[in-house]
Amino acid sequence: MAFREINSKMVEATVVPGQRLFSQRGAMLAYKGEVSFTPSLQGGQGGLMSMIGRRVAGEATPLMTVEGSGTVFFGHGGHHVHVIGLTGDTLYVEADRLLAFEGTLRQGTMFMGSQGGVMGMVRGQVTGQGLFTTTLQGHGSVAVMAHGGVFEVPITPQRPVHVDPQAYVAHHGDVRNRLSAALGWRDMVGRGSGEAFQLELSGSGVVYVQASEEKL
Amino acid sequence: MNAWGPPGAGPVVHDPMTLPADDNVNSYTFCVELKGSQWFLQKGKMIAYYGAIEFNGVGHGRLDRLVRTSFHSPLHASDWVVAEGSGKMLLADRAFDVNSYDLDDGNLTIRSGNLLAFQPSLALKQSIVPGFLTLIGTGKFVAASNGPVVFMEPPIRVDPQALVGWADCPSPCHHYDHGYLTGVMGGLRAMTGLGGASREEHQFEFVGAGTVLLQSSESLMAEQASGALPQEPGVPGGAGVSGSRGQQAGAPRLPGQLGDLQRRFGL
Repeated sequence: MAFREINSKMVEATVVPGQRLFSQRGAMLAYKGEVSFTPSLQGGQGGLMSMIGRRVAGEATPLMTVEGSGTVFFGHGGHHVHVIGLTGDTLYVEADRLLAFEGTLRQGTMFMGSQGGVMGMVRGQVTGQGLFTTTLQGHGSVAVMAHGGVFEVPITPQRPVHVDPQAYVAHHGDVRNRLSAALGWRDMVGRGSGEAFQLELSGSGVVYVQASEEKL
Repeated sequence: MNAWGPPGAGPVVHDPMTLPADDNVNSYTFCVELKGSQWFLQKGKMIAYYGAIEFNGVGHGRLDRLVRTSFHSPLHASDWVVAEGSGKMLLADRAFDVNSYDLDDGNLTIRSGNLLAFQPSLALKQSIVPGFLTLIGTGKFVAASNGPVVFMEPPIRVDPQALVGWADCPSPCHHYDHGYLTGVMGGLRAMTGLGGASREEHQFEFVGAGTVLLQSSESLMAEQASGALPQEPGVPGGAGVSGSRGQQAGAPRLPGQLGDLQRRFGL
């Protein structure tokens, strides 16, 4: 794994020649050795079309390419950092939560409507993901930022997981998600519990939840 | 350190006996034990105390000698108080991580906003580097940081916002990376501003023997005034020079433009 957690807010990455990393611009804290940071014009991987796609989708977080040989330390804004290792499956995460990821991962953009049609789009609005989200696929590791600590909740076919949309960080695996609304007359008259919308994730995989309801 | 003890046991209740002496209570609180001794602390950082402790502004006549010997920045003395007496005193700063450091006949330079308190056996001086303070001597001091502090060995290059301080390093200097601004594509980038800047063009470089202190995030703590500098030629950051430094006002910058970088790299 290219990333090593030093403490809750900082990760260390080893850069070797021939392998590159992508990271959010301005997220480098320190480095040793000869490492270069180049602003990535395309905002990530793929050709010109992926770049345009990301711009349209609003998932074009300014990224930079990290190359060379040495050790780099990443951290950003005092947010907690969590390293997720991927072994062939797809991680769904908001682009602005990405601190750094390995160049071996394929980056893509997914339309929320493609998972559950109109309800998917509504879900995107409620979780603050918008209409699009970023996917990372392949073998490699990702450092994800969250407000407050992150914990993993496994999802098994028998046990769907309900997550507060604001505390949702990312998920991977074969997971279907849908927004469950528990709206009643109490919510209409302003006496609701404040938990009217929940994200229900079912299937098999892992969802990452932050210990805070504050968005990044 | 966990303030909540074992799970299910509820919060740990401290009394004057169980409070640690000169150690962290949890990662956000530090406890100082006073036995007729004195500590310097920044105004407003004491959150609670047991015992008989007196807090006096540094200007207090009785403390003049102390200030003369261990406090060498007379111009910001009003930001500091001296705690004197016996008891235990808790220090904290806006829920930032707090750590104590021991110096043994050493020196450490630290960002002015991060220093909370220090023993009078240390001498506090303004660093030549503006905005930093240097502690020299033997003793303990307490500093806050945004996220846990990580110690690094030089040679290392550090983001300016992540730097908390350094010990014994003789050569803090600036380092510029601008490889991507050279060549044909680089020239186009610099001229049009397309592609933006990686915001990592500028680092502080440390070489030689010593230790560099990093905080785990790039959020700075509010800077404390470290005192005005004498207006003399040859004093870096002194009032006489500051007019020519910094960003030039006027001439609004186009979005995506590299700004001062271009001037620095002579583009």
